[in-house]
Amino acid sequence: MNYTIKTKLMRVFIYIILAILFLLCVVPIWILLVNATRSTPEIQQGLSLVPSNNLFVNWKNLTNRGFNIWRGFYNSAFISVAVTVLTVYFSMMFAYAIHVYDFASKKFLYGFIILLVMVPTQVAIIGFYKYMSLLNLLNSYIPLIVPAIAAPSSIFFAIQYLESTIVKELIEAARIDGCSELTIFHKIMLPIAKPGAVTMGIFAFVGSWNNFFTPFVLISKMQKYTLPMLVQTLRGDVYRTEYGSIYLGLAVSIVPILIVYILFSRYIVNGIAMGSVKE
Amino acid sequence: MANTKINKNYYGYIFTAPFIIGFLLFSLYPLVYTFYLSFTNMTMMSKAYKLIGFENFKKLFDDRFFIQSLLNTWKIWLLNFIPQIGIAMLLAVWFTSTRLKIKFVGFWRTIFYLPNILMPATIAVLFFNFFSFYGPVNQAAVRLGIINDAIEYFRHSGWTVSIVAFIQWWMWFGSTLIILMAGMTSISPSFYESAMVDGANSWQMFRKITLPLLRPVLVYVLVTSLVGGMQMFDIPYMLTDGRGSPNGSIMTMNILMYMKFSSSKGHIGAAASVGVMIFIVTCLSALLIVKLLSEKDSKNNAKAVKGEVKGYELHN
Repeated sequence: MNYTIKTKLMRVFIYIILAILFLLCVVPIWILLVNATRSTPEIQQGLSLVPSNNLFVNWKNLTNRGFNIWRGFYNSAFISVAVTVLTVYFSMMFAYAIHVYDFASKKFLYGFIILLVMVPTQVAIIGFYKYMSLLNLLNSYIPLIVPAIAAPSSIFFAIQYLESTIVKELIEAARIDGCSELTIFHKIMLPIAKPGAVTMGIFAFVGSWNNFFTPFVLISKMQKYTLPMLVQTLRGDVYRTEYGSIYLGLAVSIVPILIVYILFSRYIVNGIAMGSVKE
Repeated sequence: MANTKINKNYYGYIFTAPFIIGFLLFSLYPLVYTFYLSFTNMTMMSKAYKLIGFENFKKLFDDRFFIQSLLNTWKIWLLNFIPQIGIAMLLAVWFTSTRLKIKFVGFWRTIFYLPNILMPATIAVLFFNFFSFYGPVNQAAVRLGIINDAIEYFRHSGWTVSIVAFIQWWMWFGSTLIILMAGMTSISPSFYESAMVDGANSWQMFRKITLPLLRPVLVYVLVTSLVGGMQMFDIPYMLTDGRGSPNGSIMTMNILMYMKFSSSKGHIGAAASVGVMIFIVTCLSALLIVKLLSEKDSKNNAKAVKGEVKGYELHN
C-alpha cells in the first residue's frame, strides 16, 4: 500500500515537471507567433497568449524596409533542396558500397566515417574561405552546396539504416537478370530505403536551412543572403521599435520548419536515436 | 556465379569515390590549408605574405582575449551540458520505468525536441527581444513582483552567460533525452527483473545496471556535445553585439576567430591559428573523454572511439 502511494505521488511530481518543461518549450514559440500578429503598442503593454489583428500592418512594415523575405526564402530553399538531394544520394551510395561490396579499404573507410563524426569541421572555415576566394567562388552557392557530397553524419546514419534494409538475395537476383550495378542501386536499393532517405533528407534540409556560419562567412552580397542572415538583420537598427514586424520576420523563418516537424516528427525523433545528427 | 560477384567488387571503390573526392577537396584540403595559413602572416589587405613559424600561436597565448575566449567556451558548454545530461537522464529514467508507466512519452519527446529544429538565428533574436529592457521577461517579472525594477540583462556578464547557457540547454536537452532513451530501452529488462528479485532499489539499479551499460551512449553524447560546444558561434554571436559583450563574457573561441578574420585588416593568419587551436583543444578533450570513460583494456584511442560508436550502434 505504502509502495503504491509513493509511486502515485512520484507520478504527480513527474507530470508537474513535464508540464513545466512543456511550457518552457512551447510558450516562447507561441509568444513569438502571437506577437507576430500584434501591434507594437500592444506588445509593449504586456504579454498575451491570444493573437491580435495586426498581421497585415506588420507585414507591410516588414517588407517596406528592404527586408526581402521572399528572396531569402528562395535562396535558402534553393540551397537546402540541393544540399538535401546531394547528401541523401551520395550518402546512400557510400553506405550501399560498404554493405554490398567486399573491397580492401572498406573497414578503414567505415572507421574513418565514425571518426569524422567526432571532428570539429567549422574550424577549417578560414582555409575554406581563402581557397574559395582563390577559385573565385565567394558569393556563389557552389561552396554551400557541393560539399554536401561528403557528409559524414549522414553517411553514418545511412550505414546503420541500410544494415537492416539490404536484401542480398534481391541484389543477386537482379544481377542474374543482367541489371548493372548502378541500375540495382537506383531501381532496387533507393526505393527500398525510402523511409531512411526521408529521415536523412529532413535532417539534411533542416541543417542546411538553419546554417548560419558558413554562408555568413562566404556570402556578402545582400541579394544572395540566406534566411538566417536576413533574420540576423532583424536585430539591427532598422526595426528597432517595430516589434510586431520583428516577431513576424522571426515567425516567417520558422513556420516552414514547424510544418515539416508537425508532419514528420515521428521520422525525426526516431532518426535522432539512430543517426544522432548533431549540428 | 561467385566469379561475377568478385568481379563486381571494384564497384565499392566507384561508389565511395564521390565521398572520397568530396572529402579531400572540401574538408581535408581546407583543414590542411588552415593549418598552413596559421603559420603565415597573411592578411586581406596585401597579397604578399610569408611564413612566420609559431609567431601567431605565441601571440595567442600572450593574448588575454584568447585565454578568456577559451575559458568562456568551456564555461558556457559546462553550464549547459551538466543540466542537459542531468535532466535528460532523469527524464529518460522516468520514461523508461516500467513501474511509473508515464503516459504520452512520444508526445513529450516530440515537444522537448522542438526547440532543436528551430533556426538558431531566430532563437537568438527571439531571446534578445524577450530579455530586452522593455521585453516580456521584465514585464512579467515586475508585474508578478519577482523583481522591483527591470533588469538590463545584456549589461551583466552573469545574466548574459546564463541566458546563452539556458538557450543551449533549451535547444539540446530533448535531443540528448532521445539518445539516452534509445540506449536505455535496449538494456534487457531481465537485468532489472533479477535485481528486483534480489531486493535492489531503483537507485541501486540505476547505478549498477543502467549507468555501466549506458556508457557507450554517454561517451557518444559527451563527445558530440563537446565538439559542438567548442565550436559555439551562432547564439552568442547574435545575442549581443557579435563581440561577446558585455565585457567579452560570451566571446567564444569561434567568435574570436571570426573577429580576427573580419577585422579591418582581415588577419587571415591569426584567425587560422585560432581555428587550429579550437581543433586541437576539441580533439584532445574528445580523446581524453573516450580514454577515461571507455573500458580500461582498450588498445588505442582510435579503436576506442570506434568501439564506443559500435557499441552504441548495437544498442539500437
